[in-house]
Amino acid sequence: MPASFEEKSVWIQFVGTGLALGGYFLVAGSMLARGVTAMPAYAALFIVATVLLVVLLVAGHVVAAIASRPEGRDERDRLIAWRAEAGSGWLLAVGVLAGVTAMVFAIETVFIAHLLLLSLFASEMLGFALRLRFYRKGV
Amino acid sequence: MRGPAKAPSASPKAQSKPAPMVIENRIRVLRFHHHEMTQQALAERVGVSRQTINAIEGGKYSPSLEVAFLIARAFGVPLEEVFQAATKARK
Repeated sequence: MPASFEEKSVWIQFVGTGLALGGYFLVAGSMLARGVTAMPAYAALFIVATVLLVVLLVAGHVVAAIASRPEGRDERDRLIAWRAEAGSGWLLAVGVLAGVTAMVFAIETVFIAHLLLLSLFASEMLGFALRLRFYRKGV
Repeated sequence: MRGPAKAPSASPKAQSKPAPMVIENRIRVLRFHHHEMTQQALAERVGVSRQTINAIEGGKYSPSLEVAFLIARAFGVPLEEVFQAATKARK
């Protein structure tokens, strides 16, 4: 079955977020390992990753819209999105709780910021993966 | 003192649990009888995507009551002629 525009959109978000923010975490991880703790160094890198993400998403959606006419979300798309969110939100909650715990133990801000960002990234990626699974296997 | 009497087969809790149900449909047959109506044409009448009609037809998605009634209306038949509930055999 050919994918709908909504499913293609999820694929674009999955690949785009994986490439842009995955790349960010690879570089930021190596910087953290080398002991770089100044936040401005990461801010510049994050801006580059965000711009890359926006470019990938816009380009991907333009190509997808040319390939298949967007039909708008229907009840199945909404149900899939809700179920995926219900199955992925816990990762963000775990990250927030870990971040609060890290604050209690006065861990450096740069680590806490990356912990929160990583949990948001992981939660989003799991959400996209679940949506793609529901589109293929059914809900 | 005697303990509680044991049920001969399944426990009362298991007996009260409804049997799992699958929703079957005759959309493919009805499309055939309506001049080979395409999934796209049905989707446009119902107001959902073609992929959603495909998923309903393939049993991968159970539609809302509203969409189920709209599908039945598109074929001009009662709801139960499109969708039937079948009981899944317990293992």
